[in-house]
Amino acid sequence: MRSESRFRPLKIGDILAIILFLFFAFFLPRKHGEKVIISVDKTNDFVYSLDQDKEIIVKGKLGEAKVKIKDGRVRILNSPCPLKICENKGWISKKGDFIICVPNRIIIKIEGKTYDAVTE
Amino acid sequence: MQSLNKIAYISIFTAASISLFVVESLFPTPIPGIRLGLANIFILLALIFLGLKEAIFIGIFKSILGSLILARLFTPSFIFSISGTLVSTCIMWAVIKSRLPFSLLGISILGAETHIITQLFLAISIFLPGISLFYISPIYILSSLITGSVVGILTYFIYSKTKRRNKFCVD
Repeated sequence: MRSESRFRPLKIGDILAIILFLFFAFFLPRKHGEKVIISVDKTNDFVYSLDQDKEIIVKGKLGEAKVKIKDGRVRILNSPCPLKICENKGWISKKGDFIICVPNRIIIKIEGKTYDAVTE
Repeated sequence: MQSLNKIAYISIFTAASISLFVVESLFPTPIPGIRLGLANIFILLALIFLGLKEAIFIGIFKSILGSLILARLFTPSFIFSISGTLVSTCIMWAVIKSRLPFSLLGISILGAETHIITQLFLAISIFLPGISLFYISPIYILSSLITGSVVGILTYFIYSKTKRRNKFCVD
């Protein structure tokens, strides 16, 4: 039989684990993206710079979705999909962020300027 | 008598973890894929009182029967559930065996984190290739830190209560 005290809460390992995962959750460096990739049906179709003010019509599988780029951010303005999850995701701006519209087969992804072998 | 005792505990733990799994899946969550993971309480207790083999058995049966009840057997969510359970059970067993200074709180947090990281890894490598793992993980890591602590504290309460009354006499 093991002693009960072995599992008594808050040992040094617990605190280290909590600090480690809090660090991962909050302090992972996230840079602002440089360009946005809009792909329909898993093929990279359009690459836009984030520095512009533009509205794009993307033809997906269900119909046309309106994508807006402004102030270095992207969002889907309206989409023909039933649940509107992609519209509710709102603005994205950080490198690695994405909006996915499953019924309409649209993936909007933000990437940095240069390929970084360490972080990718 | 000893093995009968063990079989009884395995079946009680399996039944308890299946019912918790099913009940907590019925509650809506703000972010898809986040659950409290109460079934982990009994996998953790099984790891302490019974052993790795029995805990893996309980985890596999929890995933299969729970998914069967919720009508999502062999769907992606079933694959996520069973693989996350297997990996986190092995990690928690390794931490318990290694005698590192972790309490039940830390063991449960590590289990929850490996569970969600396995699921994220699978989701990205199978369904969303090309998206870097680290960019979507923060919210999931934070939420499993919270759910893992809740589960760990609950497990500690159950563990100390049953230990005091000498309920589990398997060893």
